[in-house]
Amino acid sequence: MILLALVFAPFFAVVLPFLVAQRGRTWIAVATAIAPLIALSLLLSQTSQVLEGDVISFKQVWISQLGLNLSFRLDGLSYLFSLLILGIGLLVILYARYYLSEQERVARFFTCLLLFMGSMLGLVLAGNLLLMLIFWELTSLSSFLLIGFWSQQSAARQGARMALAVTGGGGLALLAGILVIGHVVGSYELVDVLAAGELLKAHTLYPVALVLVLLGVFTKSAQFPFHFWLPHAMSAPTPVSAYLHSATMVKAGVFLLARLYPLLSGTEWWFYLVTFTGLTTLLVGAVTALFQNDLKGLLAYSTISHLGLITLLFGLDSDLAPVAAIFHIINHATFKASLFMAAGIIDHETGSRDMRRINGLWKYMPHTAVLAMVASSAMAGVPLLNGFLSKEMFFSETLHQHLLGSFSWLLPAMATLAGAFSVAYSLRFIHDVFFNGTPINLPKFPPHEPPRYMKIPVEVLVFCCLLVGVLPAWTISSLLAVAAQASLGHVLPEYDLAIWHGFNMPLLMSFIALIGGIAIYAQRAPLVRWYEGLPDINGRVIFEGIVRLLFGSVSRTLSYIENGSLQRYISLLLIAVVVMLIVWLTPLSRVTGEVALTPVDPLTALGLGVMALSALLTMGFHRQRLTALLMLSVVGLVVAMVFARFSAPDLALTQLVVEVVTILLMLLVVYFLPAQAPIESSSLLRLRDFIIAACCGGLMSVLTFAVLTRPYESIADFFLANSLTGGGGTNVVNVILVDFRGFDTLGEISVLGITAIATVALLQGLSLPRARVDNRGRPWSTETYPMVLGMLARLILPLALLVSVFIFLRGHNEPGGGFIAGLITAVALILLQVAYGQRWVQTRMGLRFPDLAAAGVLIATATGLASLPLGYPFLTSTFAHINVPFIGEIEVASAMLFDLGVYFTVVGGTLLILSGLGRIGHTVKLPEEL
Amino acid sequence: MELLVAITIGVLTFSGIYLILRARTFSVALGLTLFSYAVNLFLFVMGRLHTGQPAVLNDASSYTDPVPQALVLTAIVIGFAMTSFVLILALRAYTELGSDHVDGVEKTKKITGLGRNKQNKKKRTGAKR
Amino acid sequence: MNHLLLVPVLLPLICGALLMTTSRSPINQVRLISCGSVLLLFLAALYLLTQAGSGQIQVYGLGDWPAPFGIVLVLDRLSALMLMVTAVLGVFVTLYAMRGDDLRGGYFHALLQFQLAGINGAFLTGDLFNLFVFFEILLIASYALLLHGLGAARLRAALHYVILNLIGSSLFLISAGLFYGIAGTLNLVDLARFIAQAEGDQLFLLEAAGALLMMVFGLKAAFFPLYFWLPRAYAHATAPVAALFAIMTKIGLYAILRFSTLVFGVSAGGASGLGTGVLWVLALVTVVLSILGAFAANTLTSLLAYLVLVSVGTLLAGIAIGTEEAITAILYYLLHSTWIIAGLFLLADIIAKQRGDLATGLKVGPQLLNPHLLGGTFFVAAIAVAGLPPFSGFFGKVLLLQSVSGSAAWQLWPVILISGLVGVVGLSRAGSMIFWRSNNTLSGAAPLDKTAYFFTVLLLLTSPLLVVFAQPVIAFTEATAQQIMDVPSYLNAMQLKEAL
Repeated sequence: MILLALVFAPFFAVVLPFLVAQRGRTWIAVATAIAPLIALSLLLSQTSQVLEGDVISFKQVWISQLGLNLSFRLDGLSYLFSLLILGIGLLVILYARYYLSEQERVARFFTCLLLFMGSMLGLVLAGNLLLMLIFWELTSLSSFLLIGFWSQQSAARQGARMALAVTGGGGLALLAGILVIGHVVGSYELVDVLAAGELLKAHTLYPVALVLVLLGVFTKSAQFPFHFWLPHAMSAPTPVSAYLHSATMVKAGVFLLARLYPLLSGTEWWFYLVTFTGLTTLLVGAVTALFQNDLKGLLAYSTISHLGLITLLFGLDSDLAPVAAIFHIINHATFKASLFMAAGIIDHETGSRDMRRINGLWKYMPHTAVLAMVASSAMAGVPLLNGFLSKEMFFSETLHQHLLGSFSWLLPAMATLAGAFSVAYSLRFIHDVFFNGTPINLPKFPPHEPPRYMKIPVEVLVFCCLLVGVLPAWTISSLLAVAAQASLGHVLPEYDLAIWHGFNMPLLMSFIALIGGIAIYAQRAPLVRWYEGLPDINGRVIFEGIVRLLFGSVSRTLSYIENGSLQRYISLLLIAVVVMLIVWLTPLSRVTGEVALTPVDPLTALGLGVMALSALLTMGFHRQRLTALLMLSVVGLVVAMVFARFSAPDLALTQLVVEVVTILLMLLVVYFLPAQAPIESSSLLRLRDFIIAACCGGLMSVLTFAVLTRPYESIADFFLANSLTGGGGTNVVNVILVDFRGFDTLGEISVLGITAIATVALLQGLSLPRARVDNRGRPWSTETYPMVLGMLARLILPLALLVSVFIFLRGHNEPGGGFIAGLITAVALILLQVAYGQRWVQTRMGLRFPDLAAAGVLIATATGLASLPLGYPFLTSTFAHINVPFIGEIEVASAMLFDLGVYFTVVGGTLLILSGLGRIGHTVKLPEEL
Repeated sequence: MELLVAITIGVLTFSGIYLILRARTFSVALGLTLFSYAVNLFLFVMGRLHTGQPAVLNDASSYTDPVPQALVLTAIVIGFAMTSFVLILALRAYTELGSDHVDGVEKTKKITGLGRNKQNKKKRTGAKR
Repeated sequence: MNHLLLVPVLLPLICGALLMTTSRSPINQVRLISCGSVLLLFLAALYLLTQAGSGQIQVYGLGDWPAPFGIVLVLDRLSALMLMVTAVLGVFVTLYAMRGDDLRGGYFHALLQFQLAGINGAFLTGDLFNLFVFFEILLIASYALLLHGLGAARLRAALHYVILNLIGSSLFLISAGLFYGIAGTLNLVDLARFIAQAEGDQLFLLEAAGALLMMVFGLKAAFFPLYFWLPRAYAHATAPVAALFAIMTKIGLYAILRFSTLVFGVSAGGASGLGTGVLWVLALVTVVLSILGAFAANTLTSLLAYLVLVSVGTLLAGIAIGTEEAITAILYYLLHSTWIIAGLFLLADIIAKQRGDLATGLKVGPQLLNPHLLGGTFFVAAIAVAGLPPFSGFFGKVLLLQSVSGSAAWQLWPVILISGLVGVVGLSRAGSMIFWRSNNTLSGAAPLDKTAYFFTVLLLLTSPLLVVFAQPVIAFTEATAQQIMDVPSYLNAMQLKEAL
């Protein structure tokens, strides 16, 4: 429970800074400090238990299917890290209070800081790998915000994005690694995982898991070759650099090494990967640091090199190495944080970070100078300072590894060299900044000591350096012991933290490093020239370059694939279809089935021939649009005949009327569109289209024939059997439409209704000047409402209505029905419209078309719903037969009411669609006026 | 008979698809109509071919399969709705974009799919024809 | 029979029809009806979800005709879940549209209602041809909605969208015809029963019909090579429409899932898991291409459109794997991706309104009026959609990654993880471009519409909620996966005599 509070205190406190945002920096800082203070006190309350080696843990199942539990674990290692996070965190808060100016968005800064603090605590305290990964990514995200805090600077923006890309990407690799581990171990709980070391190392997936995890570690801890993001993260405000990029976040990687040490370490893979990455980083960082002119740049690269050192230590196969590593983590955190803060002060006071300009600050800010010097001597590994101790241990550990066989001398040699360089750059930091002549045109001059409280954090940290350095055994040893034990997972070998081990190899190495460092710094001029000679590798520029390059090439390739041509997309669709069909039809043993073919009768054959021919003609004449349209109508008509021929009178009727209306519509459109179409597709394209079309046609024929020549058992018999008894109609098709499958019909008329309003919406505000002459130059008739047509229309209307009533009534038993009736009425009305104009019709009908269509849908639905109160499901029909003179016996079924709905919708919808088009000769009115 | 029907449907599909693959909206509309004819016929004959059989119940022994007919009826209606919509859309596009090309631009300019086709300001040139 | 199964279809249908007639009446009245409808829909969905939660499959025989002769509505966990997704989306889209977008063209609310009716129908129906009808309803409505507000870009996008889908509809009919011509039935479960005992050429023809249908659904679901219509359509649609369309692709995926589990499910013998091998490849290709598209997008909305495609690919991959775990994972991921991307489309609209003519273009633009508020919201939403912790996307992905092993894992893991990284890069690029860089000019934009922003945030809040309640949600999707795998239970529910 305590652990939960410990982790989530900062998260809950994120709002506090905003609450007091108006009251100025001090208030905000205080408000921010509350949560860490609480957390710290909670942590300290556990000290005694932890030092006894107990493990305090908390577990609460969160997502069992994922194996993700809300479990936390406080042991020596996590205690140590939490202490660093909270302690240094508090100091940073105090420091930042003075670092940030009044004008900046201080509250937002501190909020992000708390967010980060919480994530970091979660990361080190998590007792479940997945949970840890969540916090891991959270640290990346919050650091993204912190690095980009000064978002107006492009350096900050790019630095932030780069850091996110690298660490975030590493996080994803780590995720994969963790999933692999979970897959092998069968649990993400740290307890189980750490116990399963042997199992994992024996498993074939071990290398995969290791590499993935290390990817995460190396990106986070800025190991070569992923180190490049860290120097650019320095464009963040200095408190952030001090906190995230030296003390805590970059330590997350090495923390993970410590945490998973029992699980992953002790194999050749581990040794070579970790050791050599560490070694490379150590050297690269140390050397590069020396040549930085930016104060923070120097510190950044030195951080990289120290992280390399820690990584290297974890790689070594000796038992004491991790102890040294953890010890160095502590020491580095203290002296590097203080150095960053000092650098921040200098930047703050002089307005510059360029060591070529900042010189001789000793006489302006002696106090700061002393602090900085002590800290950097610790960094250099000068005796009586904590840095010296861990570096001693480091040197001695490099001597104790044997896996390199006859090359084992290599490591100590390299280590000493790196040590020399670190001495050199530490020396430069001191000499260049505080002595070495006088300042050169600084933005702020003369610089002076910062506010009293801004120095306190630095003092505290430097004091720690001294204390640990002088009295290691009394101060740090016990904590270090439990931490190391928690990491190793077993009892520690004998070792003692003393300043004096007598004259031995490590001491000699330190001595060499010290002398060598001084020598290097003294003779730096030629080195600098050599370094200037190197190609200027700027990670940020490269990264941005890569991103821009990718961006360009990707969008080019994509716009090639995705060229916005519908013809391409359609052909892709059809090709996909053709391929799929061919693939799945190949196993078909033979196309022709077992059913005997029906005899060919010449008349039908002729009809089919005509149909095919006129289809082809439509295709051929598609550029002469009117001609093509005529051909098309022929096809439509023959289709109707074919329906009739194959005993489907309903279809024939429907097809006939629909055909008429469609052609009418197309004529209207042709009137407005250009009459001819140019040839655009290249011959090649047309060949492609021809082939695709041919394939589709062929496949259709094959499918048709294959099915027609095969027997099938259908549900039709049920309908034939129940049509009269259950549906009360002898026209089975109609009964299916309004009863068996009435739901389809309801949907169908809805479609019609929607289409109607859709077209209205689509035609809004559209107006076309009418052409005066047609495409052959013959003038259009100017007479709006021709007399003869008017007479005709008035004559036809009543007839048409009568017919449609007849068709409608007989629908249920004979071919006919609401739909056909509706279309007939609609056509008649359209004719009337053409004759007298739409308004004329509207006013006389006294009903707006949309309402008519809507009414249809509503009637149909209502009919269906009527059966619910009677306890029957939707659309259940009932009927009774009555005899009406002249028409004969008709049957009044509730289904007929439904059919009435169909009728209304069809009339309303069709009229709405056509009249809409009919009127765009003039400006189209908004639907309000319809 | 079956063979003839199959071939006819094939031819309709062929000419329909070819037209659908043209670059002008109206040709595409023609193609879609032809294709829908083919599809309706196909759907219809899925109930097999029955010549000269009663459409409505009487004392005849065998009947045509009514189900495909019902389906085709629905299909025809929906097809009608869709055709009319696409026609009107074509018209609107033509007047708005000044071109009856399916991509809404005369193919002098190139559109890339990545939403960067900002170059076409509303042209009224089409209206002048 | 439980008449409430009708509500998700009939309620919006009736409201839509009513709204057709109200073009003269004051907008508030229209909005009232529309709003009431979606809220009721939400309640209905909630009720049906609890009903389905019992694990019993409910069948509603329309017209009192027994399956397979009449049309049936089927309510199982899957359909209930999809109804819920739609209902939530419907509520927020309507609310957001009421902030003014609904006035940019005629009949917005009517069309929206019809759209919902179509979608819900597609999720509920148990009949192949009826599915076609509902597809047409939702399509014609979507055509009109896509065109809502008109303008050149929308017309262009619509031309492509409409024509492609008309072809799709015809193909659907062909496939339906084939199914009927061979199996002589249209009821999905009856088809499953038939296929289970079909063999030889019969089976091959049915498989061909199935393959054809997969392509039709693929066009709706928008996976490679059938997705090209989507980016422009979604990028140019009016914000609420784009948000609503977040569900459209999922309909296609739902249909594919249904067919691969029920009709061509485990019981289908030789034909089971029809074409999943192909789908698997297509899924991965889709993810790769679309994440690149997102990375290279030069407007925020087209970036989002490509992220829709990424989610499609991811979901399809899960369907292709077809194991219970995979389906559990993708159903959870489906909830997340639909809601969050919809929310992002709305957010993008709010942002665009503050950037003057530049709108969502990813260029250096004017200073936003509320950079921190919107920036913060975008940051969170971006994390969620990119699949980073601590939001829902992460958990969905991890579930999916966990569900595969062996060679499949070697293919899926890199694709998912690397695409995640690319997504992060792309999103951070877009974010820093919009919120961090500015040419310090102030666009004369209207102040933030707090209500619209509030609705957007509410919708985005689903992501943290999906995390907090991950346990129960995943439990439900797990049960759903089990249920749809168990074909016999559907036969029993449908009371089809011949058991498998």
